[in-house]
Amino acid sequence: MIRALVVLIVGLALPGALPALAVVRRSPVIIFLAPFIGATMAAVAAELELGTNGSLVMWYVIIAVATNMAVAAWWLVTRSSLGRDDPPWTWFTFTAVVMLGAMIVPLTGLRAPMLGYDVSAIWLPHTLMVSGGHQAMLSGLQNVTTANPDYPPLVPAAGALAFAFFGRGDLYIAELITVLLNACALGIVGMGIAAVGSKGSLRLRLIAIVVAGTMCMVGFAVAGDYAVDGYTDLLWSAAALGAVIWGLVLPRSNRAFITAWICVAVASLTKNEGLTAALIVLVLITLRYRPLALVRFRRSTRHPENRDNTDVRTSMTIRGWAERAAFILVPALPGLAWDGLAREVGLKNAFFGAPSTESPGARFGPAIDGITSHLLVLPIAVAVFVAGSALLRRDRELNALGHAAWLWMACLLYLSALLATYLFGSLEIHWWLRNSVDRTTIFPQIALYTDLSIWLVIGLGTTSRGDAAPGISRTRPGSPGRA
Amino acid sequence: MARYLPRRRRRGKSRVIVNLPRAVICLVASVTLALAVHHGMEITAAERSPASVSTWKTFDRQQECIYHAIRTDLPKGASIYIDPNGGYAAQILAELSTLWAVPQPAPTSAGWKISEVPGIACSGVSLKVSRT
Repeated sequence: MIRALVVLIVGLALPGALPALAVVRRSPVIIFLAPFIGATMAAVAAELELGTNGSLVMWYVIIAVATNMAVAAWWLVTRSSLGRDDPPWTWFTFTAVVMLGAMIVPLTGLRAPMLGYDVSAIWLPHTLMVSGGHQAMLSGLQNVTTANPDYPPLVPAAGALAFAFFGRGDLYIAELITVLLNACALGIVGMGIAAVGSKGSLRLRLIAIVVAGTMCMVGFAVAGDYAVDGYTDLLWSAAALGAVIWGLVLPRSNRAFITAWICVAVASLTKNEGLTAALIVLVLITLRYRPLALVRFRRSTRHPENRDNTDVRTSMTIRGWAERAAFILVPALPGLAWDGLAREVGLKNAFFGAPSTESPGARFGPAIDGITSHLLVLPIAVAVFVAGSALLRRDRELNALGHAAWLWMACLLYLSALLATYLFGSLEIHWWLRNSVDRTTIFPQIALYTDLSIWLVIGLGTTSRGDAAPGISRTRPGSPGRA
Repeated sequence: MARYLPRRRRRGKSRVIVNLPRAVICLVASVTLALAVHHGMEITAAERSPASVSTWKTFDRQQECIYHAIRTDLPKGASIYIDPNGGYAAQILAELSTLWAVPQPAPTSAGWKISEVPGIACSGVSLKVSRT
């Protein structure tokens, strides 16, 4: 475990520390965001290893040095300093201790060195291939006996970095890295919930931190054994949920926006379902930050000289759509690049090969049953959502939080995509559901629990309307600022 | 004072009406989260039970032993066939032979056939290697 922590801190968090500091400044989320940035850089390094030549370590060093130099240059040019409105160090430490403390109990499950089926079948072989250099990776993934060769490279790349540190004598270290990344993902979710109350009264802040710690434990509980036996489903699910919280729930700010982007990149580079969820969340974040009814467009056409000027209208429209496209494509680029690369080198997809002998109609019933059997929290979440929206909407607005419907939309769109996959995929439906639906529904499950947590913070933290966070309530919606 | 009391009582009443639904929302959310945490505690307790720890440690020893056996009994780059009907053991063998041997989809294209069999070499199992 100590070795895995060394890899996480020295191999992933340290190279990601400066970019993370530039994004979130002195926010406690930096503890979990820095390893995420490191893991994303490792995944991009694995893409370059496969697409060009060389080894993972070579590309990782190049990317990490280039990224850090770019961030340092940006810092020098903009003369940016740590924000004055950042929380004091005591508060930073307290939040970090509660969050890390909440994870200790679930992580004691690591006392038994469990190894999931997919870890042996997919993740460890992929990790060894990435660790072996370009030729070993290419020929290994192209081998017809290799399972799911098109799976994205973040987890294998992070594990291969561990092998670069300590050799391939202990394969279990790669699995431990995955578990620690799972914890980081839940940490980002927890920090997002803690940030819901970060600018409010002392009571609101304390409640938010306690609920955030509880939510980390709930995340481990929902994933069960999958959280500690090397499966990657919790990683992409919690990363996508982190993007939902930072991009769709917390007040709009540059800091929250970039944090959401990093989470999206991690989700899209972890698993195929993660890429689908990431694209859904990205579209929603884009619609929140750049709504279809452009305020600036309206403002510009209010000027009499612009009213009949079609050039101004056209340029504003083009600019608006270009921004929206960039908001979606830039963070999704690493995930989409892997998808394209996998097709280019002929890596097969196991789920959409030969057409299924079962019709979508015959698959519909079992798929719905399978999915809903893992959404037991849904009725309670619906009830709290309806009651909260009716009774606590004003408190939510005073805290400048996004509408609760954003989270639900992300959930429902993902569930629709999941249902479509089960309906039109090629595997036998009952076998497929038996072996996957408890993992593919982790994202909506933890999203619904997170919605409950946010309503709980709002409900407990503001017993009267005047108690709502004064710092945040002054933020003009839509204007970039700090969360 | 006489005029103040009823007004205060009225205000208290309205505050209760405002806060009661809020309390219900908080109660439902708290209980649901607490039940989930309890469920998680049970899972963790099962994971770290002596039986579970012992089973997985034995499994870990077996894996390490088979990993070294593959590198001892087979030449580097050997083309191997692992019977896919071997289930989980077959997956383990494919995993542990990565970067040393090259798995083949059919025995005809492989020079060696490997399988995991009951034995004493690796804590209850052994690696069986034969020419195809």
